[in-house]
Amino acid sequence: MDILWLGVFALLLIGYFALEGFDIGLGMLLPVLGRTGAERDRLVAGMAPFVLAGEVWLVAVVGVLFGAFPHLEGEVLFTLYPLVVGLLVSWVLRDAGLWFRRRLDGRAWRAFWDGVLCVGSFGLALTWGLALAALVQGGPVLTPLGVGYAALVVGVFALHGRRFAVWRLGGPGRTGRALLGSACLAAIPVAVPLAVATPWLLDHVAPPGTLGVLTLVVLPCVPVMVVAQVWVWRTFGRGAGVGAGAGAPSFF
Amino acid sequence: MDVLDLARAQFAVTGSLHFLFVVLTLGLAPLVAIMQTRHVISGKPVFERMARFWGQIYVINYALGVFTGLVMEFQFGLSWSGLSRYAGDVFGAPLAIETMVAFFLESTFLGLWIFGWHRLPRWLHLACIWLVALTAYASAFWILVANSFLQNPVAAELRGDHLVLTDFGALLTNPTLVFALPHVLGAGLFVGSFVIIGASAYHLFRRTSEWEFFVRSLRLGVVGALIGTTITVGFGYAQFGAVGLVQPGKFNGGPAVGVPLGFMILIGQLIQFAVMFGLTPLLFRDWLARWRWTHPLLMLMTPLPFLAAILGWLVREIGRQPWIVYGRLTVKDAMSPGLTPGMIVGSFVAFTGVLGLLAVVDYLLIARTVRRGPAAATLGASGRPPAPAPALIL
Repeated sequence: MDILWLGVFALLLIGYFALEGFDIGLGMLLPVLGRTGAERDRLVAGMAPFVLAGEVWLVAVVGVLFGAFPHLEGEVLFTLYPLVVGLLVSWVLRDAGLWFRRRLDGRAWRAFWDGVLCVGSFGLALTWGLALAALVQGGPVLTPLGVGYAALVVGVFALHGRRFAVWRLGGPGRTGRALLGSACLAAIPVAVPLAVATPWLLDHVAPPGTLGVLTLVVLPCVPVMVVAQVWVWRTFGRGAGVGAGAGAPSFF
Repeated sequence: MDVLDLARAQFAVTGSLHFLFVVLTLGLAPLVAIMQTRHVISGKPVFERMARFWGQIYVINYALGVFTGLVMEFQFGLSWSGLSRYAGDVFGAPLAIETMVAFFLESTFLGLWIFGWHRLPRWLHLACIWLVALTAYASAFWILVANSFLQNPVAAELRGDHLVLTDFGALLTNPTLVFALPHVLGAGLFVGSFVIIGASAYHLFRRTSEWEFFVRSLRLGVVGALIGTTITVGFGYAQFGAVGLVQPGKFNGGPAVGVPLGFMILIGQLIQFAVMFGLTPLLFRDWLARWRWTHPLLMLMTPLPFLAAILGWLVREIGRQPWIVYGRLTVKDAMSPGLTPGMIVGSFVAFTGVLGLLAVVDYLLIARTVRRGPAAATLGASGRPPAPAPALIL
């Protein structure tokens, strides 16, 4: 059961990097790929249906951390205090940019929230890089290695976001395989520290009584979770176009 | 204020903000689902327009529920790591289940619902909003399971320096849970219905062109409010017995508990009477919609259920002080060791500054959406010429 919940934790965290990585990357690249307001609308419309289904993976990661590794939850989050605060503020700002940008019609309003979206996305990538490096080193939150690692995360997320934009909205090199490749690349910065931390995680797993309850309640719902996620990709994937004439999605 | 006070204030502010938004989410989700169901069954366009307009308000409101909820989830580890060290083996399980089984599905289905208008087959699209409502209720259930454990730590025993889970069934039948859950769900319906009543009254008072739309909305709102207030007030009083047994003296804690409790009961009781003996009988021949002088009163009543909901939470949480896990662990001992004034002030300013500003923006956007009326709703707008939508395969 220990291995099962370690696997769930790892799957959710890796899934978050692979599935939210492109949203964050596209958010960072928004001013570059979308020079005009209309272009940015199209890019955001491309990613919007995936954001809600993507960010829930991280909410679940922290839930599993609390449920299956309760003694690590406080330790990890507290050790990384300033980075966690930065990550949360970035996350909230990125989401606010998405939710609010089309609520009013003015160009200044939309440009402002596009800026917030971009800054929040950068903040997410940078704080993730710094946090992972700090966890592996077991040390201070700001180190040269951490800065390098943060740059690496920014890089792979940007690449992943770029590939997603091409896959969803059209362009040269538009294959699902390319997107899968960048998803794997985006997951590497978290998969490696996870592999290193495996013995440490297994040392801190919750007692069998707690894990039994979690398994009993969560396991029957896993098929529904899988179906819901697959449904999102089937519905809004390539072909369910956002191009001219297809109509812009109704929100975000 | 010392570090402990600041950490408590931070949790109270983010928690209150969170509840202001989720209580409306809880109330509007089933009401929007009912509107859409009536459209799918009857085929009448007015019900689709209602689902889109009130759904748009639901969605704008949902955003802030998520933002504040994220901060709440992480705050346990940031400020209160002593809680997870002492009680994490018990308290962590319902929170983990809430995130995976409830919120994960709620958000995924909500995304499908928002972007699935005119794309999904209409019955599947309808199923999405019902699943959103169902998982929102499941969220409330598991969060209240966790909170009730803090109020009355059943199902656990002390081993060494921490609690372990011994009886999961007892966690789910906690007496501080079984009356509080319907009380909170009823409060959601109460709040959601009054937002619909207040906004409908605004349009009816202004004599906008949407007479039928807002008369129907007003009717649904009053019926929802009748059910919501009855459940809320009934289970509110019913709680006293159970709470008195496991938390004796909870309501004698001085003015910090007594004042909000008294004020909440006053609001709840007065509005319940107003709904039962005023609003509901006036649905006869749509007198409520026709009597224009009642509409400003209805608009003025709209914020009161929100206020009562926050006061209720304050009573529940202040009443367990100084304990974080009642009778077992104090709030002071649960605070993260090593938390410095600089850290807590920094995060307090960051969280409350950002969330407070966004909450204000969100309410202004909701007010503007209400004012502009159903014709301006963009949620579910087809955005394409009225040609048959391409068939989509699941």
